[in-house]
Amino acid sequence: MTLWRIRHATTYRYAEPVDMASHMLHLSPRPLPHQRVRWEKMACAPEPARVSSSVDHFGNRVTWLFLDRPHARFEVVAEAEIEVAFPAPPPADQTPPWEQVAAEAARDAAVAEFTFPSPLLPEHAGARDYAAQSFTPGRPVLAALLELNGRIRRDFTFRAGVTGIATPVGQVLAQRMGVCQDFTHLMLCGLRGLGLPARYVSGYIRTLPPPGGVVHLGADQSHAWVGAWLGAQAGWVDLDPTNDLVVRDEHVVLGWGRDFQDISPLRGIILGGGRHSLNVAVDLIPA
Amino acid sequence: MNAPLPHPSAPDEMVDGHGHVRPHWRRVLAAFSDLPQDYAGRGIGEAVRRLDRAFEDEGVVSLLPGAARPGRAWRCDPVPLPLPAREFAALAEGLAQRARLLERLLLDFYGPQSLLAEGLVPPALVFANPAFLRPCRAADRPPAGPLLTTYAADLLRAADGGWRVLADRTSRAAGIGHAQENRRILARVVPGLFRGQQVRPLRPFFDRWQDALQRLSPRGPGNAALALLTPGVHHPLWFEHVLLAGELSCALVEPGDLTARNGALFLKTLRGLQPVDVLLRRMDGRQLDPLEFGGHGGVPGLMDAARNGAVRIVNAPGCGMVEAPALAALLPELCRRLLGEALLLPSVETHWLASPGTLEMVLRAPGEWLLRPAFDGGAPAQHPALMPEAAREALLRRLAERPQDWAATRDMPPSVAPCADGERLSPRPVILRLFLAQDGAEWQAMPGGLARVPGGPGELTGRLPQDGLAKDVWVLAEEGAEILGPAALPRQPLPIRRAAGELPSRVADNMFWLGRHVERLEGAARLMRAALARLERDPLLPREFAELAALSAALRHAGLVPAEETPGGAASAALQAALWRSLREGGAVGRQMAEIARLVGAVRDRLTGDIHTLFTLPLRAVQVQAAAQHRGAQGLEEALAGVLRYCAGVAGAAAENMVRAGGHAFLDLGRRVERAQSIAAQLRFALDQPASRVEGGLRLALELCDSVITYRSRYLGVLQPAPALDLVLADPGNPRGLAFQLRAIGRLLADIGGGPEQDLLPQAEALLAAVEEMPLAVQAAHDPALAAVQLAPRLAALEGEVAALSDHVSRRYFALLPPAQSLGQEMAKEPSVLFWGAA
Repeated sequence: MTLWRIRHATTYRYAEPVDMASHMLHLSPRPLPHQRVRWEKMACAPEPARVSSSVDHFGNRVTWLFLDRPHARFEVVAEAEIEVAFPAPPPADQTPPWEQVAAEAARDAAVAEFTFPSPLLPEHAGARDYAAQSFTPGRPVLAALLELNGRIRRDFTFRAGVTGIATPVGQVLAQRMGVCQDFTHLMLCGLRGLGLPARYVSGYIRTLPPPGGVVHLGADQSHAWVGAWLGAQAGWVDLDPTNDLVVRDEHVVLGWGRDFQDISPLRGIILGGGRHSLNVAVDLIPA
Repeated sequence: MNAPLPHPSAPDEMVDGHGHVRPHWRRVLAAFSDLPQDYAGRGIGEAVRRLDRAFEDEGVVSLLPGAARPGRAWRCDPVPLPLPAREFAALAEGLAQRARLLERLLLDFYGPQSLLAEGLVPPALVFANPAFLRPCRAADRPPAGPLLTTYAADLLRAADGGWRVLADRTSRAAGIGHAQENRRILARVVPGLFRGQQVRPLRPFFDRWQDALQRLSPRGPGNAALALLTPGVHHPLWFEHVLLAGELSCALVEPGDLTARNGALFLKTLRGLQPVDVLLRRMDGRQLDPLEFGGHGGVPGLMDAARNGAVRIVNAPGCGMVEAPALAALLPELCRRLLGEALLLPSVETHWLASPGTLEMVLRAPGEWLLRPAFDGGAPAQHPALMPEAAREALLRRLAERPQDWAATRDMPPSVAPCADGERLSPRPVILRLFLAQDGAEWQAMPGGLARVPGGPGELTGRLPQDGLAKDVWVLAEEGAEILGPAALPRQPLPIRRAAGELPSRVADNMFWLGRHVERLEGAARLMRAALARLERDPLLPREFAELAALSAALRHAGLVPAEETPGGAASAALQAALWRSLREGGAVGRQMAEIARLVGAVRDRLTGDIHTLFTLPLRAVQVQAAAQHRGAQGLEEALAGVLRYCAGVAGAAAENMVRAGGHAFLDLGRRVERAQSIAAQLRFALDQPASRVEGGLRLALELCDSVITYRSRYLGVLQPAPALDLVLADPGNPRGLAFQLRAIGRLLADIGGGPEQDLLPQAEALLAAVEEMPLAVQAAHDPALAAVQLAPRLAALEGEVAALSDHVSRRYFALLPPAQSLGQEMAKEPSVLFWGAA
């Protein structure tokens, strides 16, 4: 069990005052069997005129803010203290063949949703073929998944600024570089092409390495990785292709969806504002 | 007629298997033989022509935006489609059951999803269905029903005589207003048809529906504010939105008229924000709220308001998902499981090709099937039987590759019904659309409907096309049957209102600009005509030369001719050519006319048919005249005369026929503001002369203000600065003078009322005082001529002040909001802007 302290600050600065704004936030960590939220708080400036919250279709916590006073700056700071201890997945060679998992998924209403294409991730033959290299006939699903997770880490260069929020998977494949969202999208697209359920997990990875360790890629920012399904018995396992890691106790989960769009941490519609700049700061440190 | 020929095996609505006319058709046919034959024996043909004309003048066609598009609008056949009482009752019962079933499905799909867990519905039907709107489902609470309160279905009659459902319409039930319009116009144009018939009226259904919508209001039914949300004038079914809003007493609103604040929905009116309780949407659910569904249109925060329970959206967004053709195959089993009943009204045989064995069945005989996208009930079907070999093979390959994307519906010829064909009746295939509304207790079917003759096989399924031939549907009353009246719902008496307060800001804005543009057009025509009159004189007197110079300056200032055109002598041909260019499409005046046409379209729902005709037809004639090939001064003069007649007609029609408050006040305000501005500008150029030439300037000023005759009658031939300027500037009785406009502006601002005009009034009054003072100062001056020409810069400044007043009016009344932009969806540009999971 590891105890983490999260601080996620988002600041928008507008060239002209914004008259009104509606925001939708996925910034509250999702309580899970192996992730306990000890406390959390969210502070906004200016103070919203209305705050409402619910649990979305995927079971994530979602918050809506409405601001009705002119403002030139908007800031949300989400803080929480979280215990995480995701269990180790079963031994890879003891997981079922991946074809069997795909067949099971097609019948299982609880996971089938994550086998279909989604708005940002239409079917892509290139992504499917890339993933398929690891999925040889009859191979245990987790063995293939771990190999794919490592191949992405090796084949692709982490580079910020070359991709955007909606960069298509084909472009990422062609240029062989991108950031965690791109690698996650690529892996999701490949797995779904094989009929395997895969979901987009949004969250954080520890900012500073333990003494003597390496700095993880994607720290200091929101992070993303892949939730993959191993069949009804073993359930889901989270894999971080950006760092070639199995998620255990250095990640904190915010929530999941089919792709980034379902679970974007913060989006909004503003009236006015002109040009804007954005600053995001994320800290995930041991509490 | 381009309608397809009937299929030889198609059942006949009118004639039974033995060649006898069915009993319920006898009276209908008798009515046709009784039609007056006084137009050289052409009863049916005459009815067709009169119906077409009525639809053009006051109906569907006249509601289409922009230039009417003959042949691109719905027409109505004079021959109705009668349904016997018993047959309709069975249809109504069957459709009500389907509606109940579909509501149960929606409540499950947007709630616990137990049908998926139990394996009764394959997950793809929900999760791969693009019309399943995830933001409408909350995992922690069931949906607040009812979700489905209006429903329509497309039906066709099978060879066995029974009706089958071809498509369920659960998103918006389009066509209901259209059906009502067909009835209204048919009854008015061919009243003889209805004589002696027991046709059930449609109005009680609309009364009940309106009551039902009122009851859906979260604030209780007493004084619920209903609004009908249309994407706007460019939507192909806009005419229906206008009709339906009128029928149901809803405000007709566009997304820009609405604002969601603090978890509630409001309409932006001149009197501020008015709450909206029930929103009858005529837009796809996915376009409603850009915050949750993406895109650019819609009302940000609308879904928050709906979840908050402050507004009820009808039908709830997301209802469209059960239109999926692939679902049809499951309905019999689902009906047994969920309602414990057999499905009364089956679908046309339909299969989802992901089901085992179905793909093979379709590939064995593809010509017997219509192929439809599995989830999109609005997409047209593909007809393998009618496709060329290569296209069919390509389609079948796509089917085999991704069978889960397709549904196959048995290709079944619709029944035929008689339609007017010249002076005869000919059988044509018909598809029947019936409409139902939930009244809080049960589903009510409208005793009527929209029958249509599909224009081609592609129009059998899919969305309602933009044009076609429709038929009124008559539900015959049983002898002595009681016809139900509207449900008695106590409604609070409305407060009497007389001012413009409830006018949506957008409508006021459009009216204001319509007024401005019509006036600007008139001013342009007057200026051009004055220049033209001088161009025709050759050679020009020095005085006329100076006048032409002033006119050219005014023309350039108004953007009517380009800056490089210079007046006089050899250049007069160039000026004339420039005037022609200005008048044509794309020229300054041409654009003016196009803008007027656009604005008239945008306020169409606020104009009666007659007014609309006056606002559009002469304008179109002028546009045609301006586009004519012949050139020359004569043609130009005729075109300008046409423009001036049009403007006078608009002014007269508006003054005589529009209610003073509301739209008219803003139309008039726009005209007065524009005229004040253009008088100031034109007088400034007229007076911009050396003092020795003041007389020419004054003459021009009187001419431009159409005041030559008045001046002559008052002062005979003597032209002096003070009297002339008094007439065009300060005389309160001269409708072409400046003071008259400013007084009218003050009066209109006071009339519009509502409070926020308080500091606009002093502005208008200060301008008036300044104008009234001008001729007095000239009269008192030692050198009146010099004082007169020195007014030129002051008039230029005055033009700017009137423009500023206009800006203030815009800002006060039209609540112009800055453009919306979305955050969190932008492309990352630099590492510091990389965020949200972009590591």
